[in-house]
Amino acid sequence: MVRVGRLGRTVRVLVAVAGIGLLINGSVRATDDAWPFGPMSQYAMSVPDDAKIDYTRISAQTDAGTTVDVPLNIEGAGVARAEIEARSGEIVKDPSLLQQVADGWARKHPDQPKYVKLELIRDTTQLVKGRVEGPPASQVLATWTVTR
Amino acid sequence: MSWFTPAIAMARIAWLRTILYLFVILDMHAFVRDTRDKGEHPGLYEPLLLARILDLPRPSVANTTVLYVVLIVACLIGATNHFPRIAGWVVAAAFTWWVLIGMSDGKVDHDHLALVIALWVLPTVGRARYGDQTRSEAAGWAIRCIQICVIATYFLSAVAKLRSAGWALTWPGSAVLTWAIVRRPHPVGEWLLHYPWILHVMQWVGIVGEFLSPVILWLRGRWQLFGALFFIGFHAANTAILLIHFLPTVVCWLAFAPLERIVPWFRSRRSDRDAREAEDQAEHGRQAEQQAGA
Repeated sequence: MVRVGRLGRTVRVLVAVAGIGLLINGSVRATDDAWPFGPMSQYAMSVPDDAKIDYTRISAQTDAGTTVDVPLNIEGAGVARAEIEARSGEIVKDPSLLQQVADGWARKHPDQPKYVKLELIRDTTQLVKGRVEGPPASQVLATWTVTR
Repeated sequence: MSWFTPAIAMARIAWLRTILYLFVILDMHAFVRDTRDKGEHPGLYEPLLLARILDLPRPSVANTTVLYVVLIVACLIGATNHFPRIAGWVVAAAFTWWVLIGMSDGKVDHDHLALVIALWVLPTVGRARYGDQTRSEAAGWAIRCIQICVIATYFLSAVAKLRSAGWALTWPGSAVLTWAIVRRPHPVGEWLLHYPWILHVMQWVGIVGEFLSPVILWLRGRWQLFGALFFIGFHAANTAILLIHFLPTVVCWLAFAPLERIVPWFRSRRSDRDAREAEDQAEHGRQAEQQAGA
């Protein structure tokens, strides 16, 4: 068996204890900004039984005359749904931010119909006593006519 | 104190290096895969604390491309168990930066803690071979750190659930899974929307499991295996319901596995087979002699 020396052991124990300390600090007080020592807060919130559940999406009219939901991922329009949700307030103030979604789609899918008009839409699902009640209500938050 | 430095066979380090360094290559293409895109379009870049402390440059096409190439080369070398320290430190620093860029857009995932820490502790151990049964405290410390981070991922997510409710236990009875399914619709989840009680049972099982997870650090043998299987089942359920797989954490469960037994197991199987073959041949020989004598 290969042992570590006294100094080696002390340093290792201190590093491990410091790491655990950082993790506890992150979980008790910090935010995601402290990655990798931030809180494990994905899906950590308590959602009330009468919550309104918002789901943000982007609907596009194409130059082929169709209306499609923009695939909000890296392979689709090059931007993730979470990014759009995090920035929906900014997009409402400045709908031209949607231009990059059209650009991203056009760049990644040059042989597919181009987007000509984009709508940022919020679908709201109502919970009643913890159950989904009826289909979601849709609201258009921002509209952008794509420029070339 | 010695709990942090159990003596563990060097072979486990060798196997973990191969598996984790290859996993990093997979991760760069399948999970945190938008780092180079962010180099092309740094518009949404919001550096995280660590990037600000280290004053890391904004992602660009040049630096993310170099980062990509360096990571691939260092992972391939590290996976062969050659130059374990140099390759290991390069992978640790480069992958940390890679993930930092990938998560600097307003969304941080929580499945990379154990993997990133694993990459930082593996290079503290010297050269290891797949069959090396020499037990080492340095190896044990690295393994223990990975184990602690795997468990912390669960335990701390239970803590986060209490914290977000103002330190109250309201999460397991809430509509959080319903909320999650509505936002990530797919068939299994949508079927479950009709049975909120099943979702509540799952929430209770999940949070109790997360709170009890540290026990696994002190379990041994079969019981520890049951603990690991519980959480791997937990991830399978999450994947089925929400398409959230947490593979970067799942792969680190291998730090609990006695990987050092792989080579002896193969050797004993081979020697068993050789012994059987030798016996068969001897048997054959005797039959032939008897026939000749008849």
